[in-house]
Amino acid sequence: MKNSIKVERAKKNITQAQLAELVKVSRQTINAIELGKYNLSTILALKIAHVFNQSVHDVFELEESDWES
Amino acid sequence: MKTNYLFPNRFKKIGWLLFIPGIILGIVYLIYQSDISLFNIKVFAIAEEAIFSDNTFFSVSENNILDEITSILLIIGALLIAFSKEKSEDEFISIIRLKSLVWATYVNYAILIFAIIFIYDMTFFWVLVFNMFTLLVFFLVRFNWALYKSKKQISDEE
Repeated sequence: MKNSIKVERAKKNITQAQLAELVKVSRQTINAIELGKYNLSTILALKIAHVFNQSVHDVFELEESDWES
Repeated sequence: MKTNYLFPNRFKKIGWLLFIPGIILGIVYLIYQSDISLFNIKVFAIAEEAIFSDNTFFSVSENNILDEITSILLIIGALLIAFSKEKSEDEFISIIRLKSLVWATYVNYAILIFAIIFIYDMTFFWVLVFNMFTLLVFFLVRFNWALYKSKKQISDEE
């Protein structure tokens, strides 16, 4: 799964720590998501999209490899 | 996602306050074994089989309780340290927790299987004694190492 959190953060001019605070997770979590090392829960995806005033699809995108089991 | 069955964060400190004395008493026990008479008291035993005597059930007998105190301090201490919430326990940390627990269980039993095959008699008894605590210890080491790594990754990004 690809995501544009880093870009959206830049647009909104907030740091990983500030985003973490807004969606009530640790900073490691935001960092791991941005690096593609962790597939987040639906609830957290919805919260992050909400912070950026976007729909989930604008922030998160499926990749080909996600269809392989 | 709610992480179930975890203690509040403040219990971690209590865990250390039990675990560290447990380690100290453990070292004392390894050196003196049952020689410290201060710890000889009468205990109620559901089952007991002393060497060269028969099984007895529901009896009262004298026992050196240094090893009992040590084991309980180590187990409760390690449980509280391992299963108290982190300051910011969230879904990502839950995943690290689960992975670490699976890893620690595999490593613990791999070592035990190795010991079953290659270690015998009283030495194997001591392996079993240590094995009571190693699952939790392996988990603690692996979990905290993984947390440290993910924190370090953030500081490397800056």
